[in-house]
Amino acid sequence: MSKVDDIQKKQILRLALYAGEIMLKSGAETYRVEDTITRICQSRGLNHISAFVTPTVIMVSDERFDGYSFIKRIKFRHTDISKISLINDFSRDFINTEMEISKGLKTLKSIDVYNLYSFSFRVVWAGLASGMFALLFGGSFSDFVAAFFISMGAMIIFQKLETLSETSFLANAAAGFVIGVLAFTLRLLHLGDSLDMIIVGSIMPLLPGVALTNGIRDFISGDLLSGISRVFEAALTAISIAVGVGAALKILLLLGGAV
Amino acid sequence: MPIYLHFIYSFFATIGFAIVFNVPKKSLFYGGFCGAVGWTLYTFLFQNSIETVSANFIASLAVALLGEIFARIDKKPVTAFVIPGIIPLVPGYGIYRTMLNLLQDNLQTGIELGLTTLFSSGAIAIGIIVVSSVARIFKTTLKRI
Repeated sequence: MSKVDDIQKKQILRLALYAGEIMLKSGAETYRVEDTITRICQSRGLNHISAFVTPTVIMVSDERFDGYSFIKRIKFRHTDISKISLINDFSRDFINTEMEISKGLKTLKSIDVYNLYSFSFRVVWAGLASGMFALLFGGSFSDFVAAFFISMGAMIIFQKLETLSETSFLANAAAGFVIGVLAFTLRLLHLGDSLDMIIVGSIMPLLPGVALTNGIRDFISGDLLSGISRVFEAALTAISIAVGVGAALKILLLLGGAV
Repeated sequence: MPIYLHFIYSFFATIGFAIVFNVPKKSLFYGGFCGAVGWTLYTFLFQNSIETVSANFIASLAVALLGEIFARIDKKPVTAFVIPGIIPLVPGYGIYRTMLNLLQDNLQTGIELGLTTLFSSGAIAIGIIVVSSVARIFKTTLKRI
């Protein structure tokens, strides 16, 4: 591998950081992000690169005394498998061919703004999945219908509030509250059979089950900081949903409704 | 509920969440299949008096194994199949119930549920890691030969 000059070195680091940022924002595992960054750098002759990734920050640095370092702060994370898959293909391409860095950056930009399914399409399918979960836990057909509509409403509220407020705590609690109120109302109107089943189904899209499991996976593969952050993030999400649903049910019961 | 209904419901539930997670169209069927097999196996084991944690572990082994196979067929990272595949298994409802019980001062139930939840997701994580490690070892030894 030929010797790389300073400007090129910066560009390679920037490209690797960008690829890592998209992966982390799409919910990729910590080790995969670190691996991709190191490999992209190594493929262009930067052999002394350290990457340190946690869910909130990426640090890439040249290990030697006069090396460069880059830090990128990550604020929002969602799960977007299509982007992870695209970056995976991209890094394989980039490593195995002599792709120009500017072309690589252009590809990364197009991946960053890529959106596979529209929001409304995803909301409808989240509703269907929630209804299926209500059935899976032993609910009846009317529970399926109730969970279908309630979870769609909850998803929309969650999305709107999350973009408005900086954290997802309020969005989760509000969505949980709405789910509690709607489930209770539908149950009172006899449009659903079991309050529990309707609520279980409806909160499914919000619950952090995958996040918790990913956190423990990080722990096991030795990414301790990421593991702790992800597990606690999952716990906090669950608390906020429980606060929302619990508050709604408590208030309605105090107002004199009976299920 | 008959076991084939479990399969159908979890299949569509998994596909639904796979779409929420932006899984590409071509991989949706594979993902749904992973999820359905995992959940059905879990239910079957659970009904045959195997406790939750072990049943989760075995089911996640199956999911991860299917994920590795589909990743070879479909040329996608394993995550594209394993994340949807574990959706029916992961104890999202468990964490929620833990927190609800803790908030309502039912400490005993809350802590019991919390530990089961933690161990279940630990079992799922270990299942996935076991399969991916074995696959990696397998690959490197095959290359050496």
